[in-house]
Amino acid sequence: MNALGEAARKANVLVCVGPGGVGKTTVAAALALRSALEGQGALVCTIDPAKRLANALGLEALGNAETLIDAGHLAKAGLSPKAPMRAMMLDMKRTWDELIEKRAQGEARQAILGNRFYQSLSTALAGSQEYIAMEKLCELRLQRDYPLIVLDTPPTAHALDFLDAPNRILDFLDQDAMKWVLTPALKAGKAGLKLFNLGGGFLTKQISKFIGTQTMEELAGFMVHMSGLYESFRERARQTRTLLEAPTTRFVLVTGPMPERTSEAARFLELLKEHRLHVAAVVVNRVHQAPDDKLLAQAEALGEPLKTKVLTTLREQTQLAAQDAKGVAWLKAHCGAVPIVEVPRFDLDVHDLQSLATTGRWLWGDPSRSGPAPH
Amino acid sequence: MSAVLFDKQLIIVTGKGGVGKSSVAAALALLASGSGKRTLLVEVNAPDRASALLELPPFGDDVGLVGPNLWAVNLRPEQAMREYGLMILKFERLYQAVFENRVARHFMRFVPSLAELTLLGKLLFHMKETLPSGERRFEKIVVDAPATGHALTFLSVPEVILNTVPPGALADSASWMRALLVDATRTAPVLVSLPEDMPINETLELATALKSRVSMRPQAVVLNAAVPARFDAAELQSLAHAPALQDSARVHQVWAAQSADAAKRLAALELPLITVPRLHLPNYGRAAIESLAGHLRPLVERPR
Repeated sequence: MNALGEAARKANVLVCVGPGGVGKTTVAAALALRSALEGQGALVCTIDPAKRLANALGLEALGNAETLIDAGHLAKAGLSPKAPMRAMMLDMKRTWDELIEKRAQGEARQAILGNRFYQSLSTALAGSQEYIAMEKLCELRLQRDYPLIVLDTPPTAHALDFLDAPNRILDFLDQDAMKWVLTPALKAGKAGLKLFNLGGGFLTKQISKFIGTQTMEELAGFMVHMSGLYESFRERARQTRTLLEAPTTRFVLVTGPMPERTSEAARFLELLKEHRLHVAAVVVNRVHQAPDDKLLAQAEALGEPLKTKVLTTLREQTQLAAQDAKGVAWLKAHCGAVPIVEVPRFDLDVHDLQSLATTGRWLWGDPSRSGPAPH
Repeated sequence: MSAVLFDKQLIIVTGKGGVGKSSVAAALALLASGSGKRTLLVEVNAPDRASALLELPPFGDDVGLVGPNLWAVNLRPEQAMREYGLMILKFERLYQAVFENRVARHFMRFVPSLAELTLLGKLLFHMKETLPSGERRFEKIVVDAPATGHALTFLSVPEVILNTVPPGALADSASWMRALLVDATRTAPVLVSLPEDMPINETLELATALKSRVSMRPQAVVLNAAVPARFDAAELQSLAHAPALQDSARVHQVWAAQSADAAKRLAALELPLITVPRLHLPNYGRAAIESLAGHLRPLVERPR
């Protein structure tokens, strides 16, 4: 077993992070499956509506609730997990709504849920997807007792969005700033939030040049209602922070071997370290494997046109592998002491249970047992 | 194939992360500038992607000449916001008073999508720029847009603003921006994909979402890194005596089959489709982009 396997056994939360398009969701699912097979019950929480992953797990689709993967379905693929595996897909909008419903009461609840700014906060505001993923993680950790939760994260344009998400929401609710802007409004009472007509200061006049007086009033109204939730958001941000920094929470940085991905991954790793988060491993997914050198000599013995075709194929595959090896070597030079785990590229997209199980074995450094051949 | 991008002023290149958007954008910009058109290549908050592929220094905040007929710029939200602020407030001192105030900054940051709107505004402003002669300053603007989810957010900003914000300065800006984006005679989204399941799904979904959410119709699809078929069944069979060779050949055919399947699925979009074979070059730099440009030529140039 490798360092990632060890870490997965000791951890109760694994957070898969990294650039988009590298197979993060697959790695997250494979880690959960592997843990279940080894006797540690696991829940994988994905962000992608990965229909084929759902199908591979014997489900029509993944929903916002944790769903037990049917043992009979796993048995058909020759897999007999020693502990249950569960899967779910995070529904952003619904999780936000649940959050507000839980925290806000009566009039404020209705006012928030019906506000136009809430709609864009819960669906479009930068960082809000990242925030809600953390929120869900916290809820699952604190309210359920899964031995292991594997969280897949949104493909971030900027790594910081993810780590900063709780702070950004707090910023949004920042009471100091709020007091400044809202004091006239609060004095005027909720009936008329005409704060910028109340002699409106220089500043508010200038701001409303950009966004219009009415927009400012509406936004202020929204903030008044949201500000009541500040304390509970701050408490949650603190819990999230504690959870992310806990020694039982490990980050798995998933990347591909291509130069643009490896450099993004290295930047991401720096950030994780700056934030003093525990990184279990860097997973380099879908690494091309070079064909054996002896094959070239074997191919020379073939007759034409087959000989040229096979030689071309071997040369292409060697070159792909060489490029990927360069990427992996670069990562090794830039990741310090963090273990690097390579997962080979398989013939096909990983979308059936057996490939998922094989990926899991590679992730744990135990690729010996039979499975689809890597290439 | 008709040269669907020939007379479009704005080409927006998007797709799933890691499919080669920057490469396609850089190649399209090379083609356009090479055909004598004043061309602007735009990066969105990624100064070193397309520039590195073209083996050029990182693009700056201001439009700069980087080759014959070729200008480039890197759009950053802070910079765009500043320019927008100055445009409306007119005076540097006034701008500083407002934008360097903590409370004001706080407030502005949470006006939904204001940062993206100013970014988009700056981009679309370049479409309207003219030379003293009255001609357009840029005949062709190629944008290396963010990946799918972020691109949709980015492009739907005018829509979101129009739905969120009451009439006023902000809504007016959003309104002219939307008009430019949905104008299919000037603006052409190009989707880039890879011959793999997830990117293809995402491409199909993106095409639908662009139409339904922002009323934009993609005008071409590029299937990148496709693997051409090479062995027939009899040839594979004849390698039975050398299982390792047969295995290599079989892997090639599996990839080729995936590529063919991907092309078939993309064909359902009924858009001009360019299939670019996977390149086997030691380094992925300018030579690769030029080779890619060769494949994309039919989209941009009318046959003589």
